[in-house]
Amino acid sequence: MNAKIDFSKISFLIVDGDKISAQVVYDTLAYLGASHIQRVKKPNDAFDVLRREQIDIVVCEWRLRGMDGLEFLDVMRNSTNSPNRFIPVIMLTAHSEMKYVTTARDLGITEFLAKPFNAKALYSRLVSVIARPRRFINTGTYFGPDRRRRQVQFDGPDRREL
Amino acid sequence: MTHYDWGSGAIVTPEEPKKKKNVQIIPAQTDLKRRAVNFVKGFDINLSPEQLEELENVVQRSTETFVRDVGKELMDCRKIVIGALGDKSKRPEAVAACGDLAYSVKALGGTFQYPLMTQIAKSMESFVADRTTANEKQLLVSQLHIDSLYVILASRVTGFGTTVEQATVAALTKLAERYELPRE
Repeated sequence: MNAKIDFSKISFLIVDGDKISAQVVYDTLAYLGASHIQRVKKPNDAFDVLRREQIDIVVCEWRLRGMDGLEFLDVMRNSTNSPNRFIPVIMLTAHSEMKYVTTARDLGITEFLAKPFNAKALYSRLVSVIARPRRFINTGTYFGPDRRRRQVQFDGPDRREL
Repeated sequence: MTHYDWGSGAIVTPEEPKKKKNVQIIPAQTDLKRRAVNFVKGFDINLSPEQLEELENVVQRSTETFVRDVGKELMDCRKIVIGALGDKSKRPEAVAACGDLAYSVKALGGTFQYPLMTQIAKSMESFVADRTTANEKQLLVSQLHIDSLYVILASRVTGFGTTVEQATVAALTKLAERYELPRE
């Protein structure tokens, strides 16, 4: 029997200033059965929603007015005022070059989705966030999901000790 | 403390023991998984090709909105650029408008089966990136990008087009390279 995901049990927050892009994500989530979906255009409004309501997953665009998606992520992960440091964040962006991906990764992004995207790509990011949660790593310079995603054979000593 | 190494015959200084890094590993938050993953209700984790097609159709529902809204944005941006050609004070605003439009089209064109628009918007975005203003020729280059985008949209050229369209993209990219400087 195949494992399923009941999206009606999960609440989403879309942070995107682009009307069409936000609508596409909204329609996809609604089709999947999500009943609690909030949409905002600015990061400050997103913080208000996150402080007021129980949100499980944030889908955020990189390019936003005022504070960009990276600054938003930085506040979420590293600020003492963060509403939820552990919340999964899926970053949508048309900046798909490697430097942007690594920058987002090093600020604690959970999943990265390059635009233009299709339904399959969005769905796979949602599955990854929900069904394959990652442990969090806290060092002096990084707080976020474990960036080591590939399981590679390594004979050397384990330097990641408590 | 140094010592004599019998193997190499040299005086060696032992390395300082490495300090352990202070790393905290926090177990994965499984609350979402416990709440949503089951074997009864919802969508399969691995969607079948038919289910994926249905999901893709949901995305494509916004195609008409994309065509209508981007068409309007292209016309508005074109007006701003033309206005800026004769008025230097309006140029920073025109450059900003071009940047916003280019990013938006680059991001969404491919999603709605207009990857050619994404290609042209990409060229336009790199052309206006990090600019605060532009000279007359640079504004004309931006305008040519806008016009090409509009023609593709109006003619509903989905996919990557023919060799003619690809030659147009290459020509626009070359033009953008030629008039890239000065970057102010």
